[in-house]
Amino acid sequence: MIPGFSTPRLRALGSWIVGSLVAVICAALLFAWSGLYNIAASSGHLAMTRAFLEFGMRNSVRTQSAMIEAPALDDDVDRVRLGAGHYQGGCAPCHGAPGEPVNPIAEHMLPPPPTLAPHVKSWQDKHLFWIVKHGMKYTGMPAWASQNRDDEVWAVVAFLRRLPDLTPEEYRDLAYGNASAQRRPVTALLSSGSDTPDIAACAKCHGTKSAGPTSNLVPRLAGQSEPYLAQALRDYADNSRQSGIMEPIAAELDEQTVKAVAAYYAGLRRNQDPRPEPSLTGEHDAGEKIARDGVADEAIPSCLSCHGENAAERYPRLAGQPQRYLALQLRLFRSGVRANTGQARTMAAIAKRMSDRQIEQVSAYFGSLRSFSLQPDERDAALTAPEKQGANQ
Amino acid sequence: MRFLRTCPALIATAVILSGCGGDQSVLSPFSDNARTVNVLSNVLFIGGFLILAVVIVLAGLAAFGGAHLRRRLAGENAVVIGGLVFPLVTLTPLLLYGYALLGAGPNPLDGQRPLKVTVIGEQWWWRVIYTDSKGDSFESANELRIPVGRPVKLSLTTADVIHSFWVPNLAGKVDMIPGRTNTLTLSADTPGVFRGQCAEYCGGAHALMAFKVVALPAKEFATWLDVEQSQAREPRSQVEREGLELFLANGCGGCHSIRGTAARGTAGPDLTHVGGRKSLAAGVLPNTAESIARWIRDNQEIKPENRMLPYRSLEPGELSAISSYLSSLR
Repeated sequence: MIPGFSTPRLRALGSWIVGSLVAVICAALLFAWSGLYNIAASSGHLAMTRAFLEFGMRNSVRTQSAMIEAPALDDDVDRVRLGAGHYQGGCAPCHGAPGEPVNPIAEHMLPPPPTLAPHVKSWQDKHLFWIVKHGMKYTGMPAWASQNRDDEVWAVVAFLRRLPDLTPEEYRDLAYGNASAQRRPVTALLSSGSDTPDIAACAKCHGTKSAGPTSNLVPRLAGQSEPYLAQALRDYADNSRQSGIMEPIAAELDEQTVKAVAAYYAGLRRNQDPRPEPSLTGEHDAGEKIARDGVADEAIPSCLSCHGENAAERYPRLAGQPQRYLALQLRLFRSGVRANTGQARTMAAIAKRMSDRQIEQVSAYFGSLRSFSLQPDERDAALTAPEKQGANQ
Repeated sequence: MRFLRTCPALIATAVILSGCGGDQSVLSPFSDNARTVNVLSNVLFIGGFLILAVVIVLAGLAAFGGAHLRRRLAGENAVVIGGLVFPLVTLTPLLLYGYALLGAGPNPLDGQRPLKVTVIGEQWWWRVIYTDSKGDSFESANELRIPVGRPVKLSLTTADVIHSFWVPNLAGKVDMIPGRTNTLTLSADTPGVFRGQCAEYCGGAHALMAFKVVALPAKEFATWLDVEQSQAREPRSQVEREGLELFLANGCGGCHSIRGTAARGTAGPDLTHVGGRKSLAAGVLPNTAESIARWIRDNQEIKPENRMLPYRSLEPGELSAISSYLSSLR
């Protein structure tokens, strides 16, 4: 027993504390019930409230991201370009971009979404990663649409690192990629009623008739089969294929547009975009062996049995896809991220049998190819024939 | 009263023992080899029972017998006779008898067309390779056909972990050990289908790794061998043609071979004559077109962890075309 504190006095103190707590809770409920607190975004915060909220926010981000290990991002062009493409559609409407003002609607949120360039430097990579991946309560900042695609979040972080130094022109080149030439003024948008799909949203990152993908983390769609492309968009739209970048885009497409986009890319000639002859990197020969024969002892079938020219159209053709993209996708299959559709389950079962080395080998092989059979050349010949005739006349 | 209490136990024992006969049973031998195993087991069971009875009697005498008897049982002579001489004179002949019985198999090279068969245990199925006198070989799976009355020499090995090859009606079990080839001479007296099973735990689907041994009269066997050796028969109907196309276009040939087509994979069972086998998926399903379709789609649910890829993306029409084609490959 502490001297001076008899049991009755302790009891009295306890009652006083409990009574006060009840009074405070009642007062808070009464205040909320009365509606006297003004929740209007237009009224802003008191300077003191703002300082307190920011203090809490900064510390929360630091503590919550303490265990994250950041990969080396230094000027990773593939990541920067992919991140830029997503930033333009997913972030710029609220945060603005070099040469592009913030939308006035977003400007009137509370807190108003900050222009990021001046703030980026005050955060480490892992802090930015945490914010982009998880979003922030009470601010309107959403979490990443696919919580198991950290690779995509890092791409945005890589871009954010570059953001403060970008001129409007540099930003446009990065963010609009292959679509930069096709930007049209608002008046053109108003008068457009054309029935051909505007593929600017795709071409930002993927490719066009005359250009390849902007990043090695982005697949080449030209000449891929129509059923495969359409199915990929449907899988993104119903969240059975995971991507914080593709899901929001695919979710906006109706079935007619899905088919039109798939038809557009299926109609392009494969591997005709100008690009340097891919160098034979890594263990290209070992990759070719796996692609052609598989590894029977490890129950890995040959890649070409489903991804060759004669395979069913539901499977993608891999020749000429960027090595980095292929290796990334194989790892997503292997870790079970890409295993939610019947077809992905088939591939995931194979990828689980592959070592890191085998993944790099087959990716190097397919990445080094432009085309691997007579068939696409024949098709190319058929497509180019009329032009030649025209030249002869 | 005591009888009434033990009666249910006796009945239960009788019921359980009655399950020991018949299919996949050591107690129903159909070959010389299995019969000797059976004889040896009976000798052991009866001999063991007699020795147990003697020990019980001696134990009773040691506890309740007269002082003279008890003194003699506790003496040095009793230990020497009961503990040294008796085991020596019973176990030594038994060991020699066992060697004599099991070692004296029939000569495997009696036939005019010596047939060499290699069985390789894989997780969780059996790769069967027949090699004829000319040295030509071809593959089959999960089923072994042998001519009645003619011993066949089996080379047993494994592609991965330890398995054990056991057809209780025909022979004792022989382990399949990595890096080693064991041999077993197999024969059957009468035509019939005998079930065999992996008898050494080999991972997840071990319990679903069975096979059939089909013993055929010599003539039928020769006919079967000619067919089995030949290439796959051409698809004859539109559906079968579609089935073959779909089989190839969906990558099945990456793991399976069908001799005479572009399918040349070696990771999985050879399917050249899959329609003629008695069962599917190593003794798991009856061999019908319906169960082939079910297997292609739901194999991971039917036999969890097996290494066949699940093909849930195929449409029902595609599945039925592929299974019609495979079922026609007899």
